[in-house]
Amino acid sequence: MATSVRATSDGSPPSSRPAPSTSRRGDPGAPGNWRAKLYRLDTKASPYAYIAPFFLVFAAFGLFPLIYTGWLSLHHVELGESGSGSWVGFDNYTNLWDNQFFWKALRNTFTLGVISTVPQLMMALGLAHLLNYKLRARGFFRVAILAPYATSIAAAALVFVQLFNPDYGMINQLLGHFGVDGIRWDSSKWPAQIAISSIVTWRWTGYNALIYLAAMQAVPSDLYEAAALDGASRWRQFISVTIPSIRPTIFFTIIVSTIGATQLFGEPLIYGGGVGPTGGTDHQYQTLSLYMYDKGWQVGQLGQASAVAWVMLLILLLIGAVQLLVIRRSRRKLGS
Amino acid sequence: MRTSGRTRKAAVIAVAGLATCATLITGCSSSDDNGSKGSDGKSSSSEQITLHIGDFNEFGYNDKTGAKLFSEYEALHPNIKIVEDNVTDGQQYWDSLKLHLQQGSGLDDIQAIEVGYIAEAIQPQLASKFVDFKSIKGFSADDWVSYKEKQATTADGQVIGVGTDIGPTAICYRTDFFQQAGLPTDPQQVAALWNGDWAKFVQVGEQFKAKAPSGVAFTDSAGGLFNAVLSSQPTQFSDQTGKLVYDSSPGVKTAWDLSAKAVKEGLTAKLQQFDSNNTWSAAFKTGKFATVACPSWMTGLVSTNSGPANKGKWDIAQPPQAGNWGGSFLAVTKASKHQAEAAALAQWLTAAAQEVKIFQKFGNIPSNKGGLSDPAVQNTTNDYFGPAGKPAPTGKIFATTAQSIQPAPIGPDDGTVKDIITKNGLLDMEQRGTSSEKAWSNVKAQVKDKLGE
Amino acid sequence: MAQLTEPVRPAGPRHSSLPLKQGRRRLRAGGAGKQHNGGPIAYAFIILATLVSLFPLYWTVVAASHTDTDIVTPPTPLLPGSHLIDNLKIVWTQVDMTTALINSTIVAGCVAFSTVLFATLAGFAFAKLEFRGRNALLTVVVATMTVPPQLTVIPLYQIITKAGWVGHLQSVILPSLVAAFGVFFMRQFLAEALPIELVEAARVDGAHSLRIIWHVVFPVARPAMAVLGMLVFVQSWNDFFWPFIALSQQNPTVQVALAGVGAGNHSIDHAVVVCAALVSTLPLLLVFAVLGRQIVSGITAGAVKS
Repeated sequence: MATSVRATSDGSPPSSRPAPSTSRRGDPGAPGNWRAKLYRLDTKASPYAYIAPFFLVFAAFGLFPLIYTGWLSLHHVELGESGSGSWVGFDNYTNLWDNQFFWKALRNTFTLGVISTVPQLMMALGLAHLLNYKLRARGFFRVAILAPYATSIAAAALVFVQLFNPDYGMINQLLGHFGVDGIRWDSSKWPAQIAISSIVTWRWTGYNALIYLAAMQAVPSDLYEAAALDGASRWRQFISVTIPSIRPTIFFTIIVSTIGATQLFGEPLIYGGGVGPTGGTDHQYQTLSLYMYDKGWQVGQLGQASAVAWVMLLILLLIGAVQLLVIRRSRRKLGS
Repeated sequence: MRTSGRTRKAAVIAVAGLATCATLITGCSSSDDNGSKGSDGKSSSSEQITLHIGDFNEFGYNDKTGAKLFSEYEALHPNIKIVEDNVTDGQQYWDSLKLHLQQGSGLDDIQAIEVGYIAEAIQPQLASKFVDFKSIKGFSADDWVSYKEKQATTADGQVIGVGTDIGPTAICYRTDFFQQAGLPTDPQQVAALWNGDWAKFVQVGEQFKAKAPSGVAFTDSAGGLFNAVLSSQPTQFSDQTGKLVYDSSPGVKTAWDLSAKAVKEGLTAKLQQFDSNNTWSAAFKTGKFATVACPSWMTGLVSTNSGPANKGKWDIAQPPQAGNWGGSFLAVTKASKHQAEAAALAQWLTAAAQEVKIFQKFGNIPSNKGGLSDPAVQNTTNDYFGPAGKPAPTGKIFATTAQSIQPAPIGPDDGTVKDIITKNGLLDMEQRGTSSEKAWSNVKAQVKDKLGE
Repeated sequence: MAQLTEPVRPAGPRHSSLPLKQGRRRLRAGGAGKQHNGGPIAYAFIILATLVSLFPLYWTVVAASHTDTDIVTPPTPLLPGSHLIDNLKIVWTQVDMTTALINSTIVAGCVAFSTVLFATLAGFAFAKLEFRGRNALLTVVVATMTVPPQLTVIPLYQIITKAGWVGHLQSVILPSLVAAFGVFFMRQFLAEALPIELVEAARVDGAHSLRIIWHVVFPVARPAMAVLGMLVFVQSWNDFFWPFIALSQQNPTVQVALAGVGAGNHSIDHAVVVCAALVSTLPLLLVFAVLGRQIVSGITAGAVKS
């Protein structure tokens, strides 16, 4: 867990860190002893007051589920059972190790995650940059790109399933003109995964673009003016002003998208139609979340499902550590 | 330091927002009538009580779109008000019901249970949450067809549900396609083609295929064929004790072999029944297949999906062997504060007279013997099916089939195995050309992964 | 607030390749008037993205105004039909959509409001204040996002059963009052967007920390608060799994009500389902219209003037 601590503090600009400490030591030369005391109390206690609501609600509604899930993962428990189940140690975890469906789900989660997240974030960044331009009807465009996030997923699924219908879908008709015929978007592994990732990309690009846009709004215009005086092209300004200035936000979206990709659930479930959480007839696109849901809700093996959940959590922490290393290394290169 | 108007406004909005939310949250909890179901304790016959009934899809009881049975009952019992808690998707309904039962909260007085889940519901941990109908005045399991109440009976003899409908299964077929393929079109002659043996049904499929109109498969799906064949078999997935024996069950083997053969010979349209993407329902209208195994409740679906343009092209014939597909139960929860009243309502809703009314409105075949033999059921015809002027005698066909259904033992894991076989085994063969042997070993691996056996 | 506009000690130049004007940098953000005009290529891309984004929404309108068989049968209709009123009537017959819309407005409104408020406070603390255990606590916040939501419903349901909230709105509001996602989002935003000079200047001025929040943090955070508010509102509005378990059709949110829509005789009327989905989406567009306007450069509006 220590890994992502550094990750987040690394995300903040180097300039901001030394500042608060100097100010705290130097400043409060205010008159009146009680005022100074009050002031010190304010500086000391207020951070805790600000983060308290989160931790209070989390302690009430988040901590217990987290620990409970861990406890379940060490037991054999079935949904609907009244008792507390029987202790099985790490059996639920070791069983996963030689379970072909778990590995398949893990691989699918990884490939789906990569092909849906990487293009999505790149496109979101570009779109946010364009939306940051002075445009007519800018407000409309900004809101319109969030429409996929608000559109009912059931309605969207109806559209996408028809687009990707292997027999009469628009996409296969289009590809037919280029001599590519009869791609089985429903049952072949890679086509199905591409179709699903296109739904994911469609739904979440605008979402991330808006997050980037908010960050770009806070970039001081002087930086652009200075760069322009310097003769930097728009593209150059984007690379050397915009991107570095919103780096913490980019870092944020990478973390959140990674988590989202690891927990990918709704899109493959709905794309599968009636096949349900098995993710295709041969598990072509069953993700870890679907596998967990299948175990926990369809079959009621809560212990095994909880083990999958904890494995997902550990994988995320591992990915977080790797991302951190990459970011630090690249930062060091840039710095030198 | 001047406070700008904007920040003061923000502060006002913030405080007002928080206050509103706090008020709303506490306000919601004080208006207590909606959430806590089956209100407070004691019940005398004159006291006003509300009975909540939880069900899925369309049970046809309600006053708005159904047979108005609730208002009829409320008129008979002025002190009772009935509220329906309906969820469209049966799977979603059951998933949350299991959690509600486990925790003993969020339950309605009456909960409907689909036959696919009833074997799970009679397992000790869930059965203990339901009222035993044997302890209820006026209950007699013999009122229903023999296999119905048996399915809702636990190992130690409790009866946790009363039967609503059953799904005797016949064969719906397209007379126009049959004619083009040189097959008879009259229901009697068609039934004679395959009478007594599902293998003959597949043979008719081979004949059909030889002269079939282009783009028309013999039957809609291997999964549908598997279900229909299996439902007529005396041994299905489980033995008398509820233990899973699918791997050695002769019934499963028969159904699998015939469905696999149909796939291999290209007799199926490679569709998945009830897929949420509508491909299956669209194929009715576009005429992609000539037959579909048709439980009584599916006739409405065939006519809706095929549309008025195809009226008169479908007909219904007796199946090779009689089987049951679908049907439900009403159970009374122990969490109910009004168990006696709820049980009385459940019994009334499943009594012969009411089941006949539901049949007349929706075509659900009564599981209550009195309802099944009622002339209103027996003489019903459906003019969507059969040639013009000669509507199909659906009441007679389904009631006859219902009489000859043989009860088969069921177990709690049947539904899981059935899903794996139809959605992963057979559909995989249809869509990806997997061989029968490979598909079966996949099925076994998945059953082992999910159920550990 | 005059002091805040005085030249403050500049932080070390970060983009060393670019000569920076000292002093007032940071106090003007890239707001309207300072940005590039979009060229035709920018317009082309944005219009394309808008069309792709809006098409399924448009198609929702099309499907909601046809019959079930129309929309599932190829060729798929591309223009609105005439069954909208019929489908709406069915929706309102099958479920209590009015209650659902009111309930969802309450739930999503409260959740979005409190999430934004608390996330901004916590995000500010994590980004700009120093206190013991800051990094460890921030790690905990981020780690909580990794718990798969499908599993937490079981322990959560035990909690609300004990509390007696099953079927009541607080069962869906209270667990969502704060979001780790929101805290992390605001922290990352403020880390870059809020110049420490502003905070320090206010400090020197003797402002207590609540004052700093009102006068410095909120104005700067406004675009991010608006975006977060929109995202959380939509997320809460569209949340299905947990509300479905916790509530019932007697007191539903919109998504719970949607689960009770469309039942026909053993089949599902997709036109009615999509029509209900359309009804459920419209209020979101209204929220977008209101909050969307707030996504403008915050800092110029608040801190600099006076």
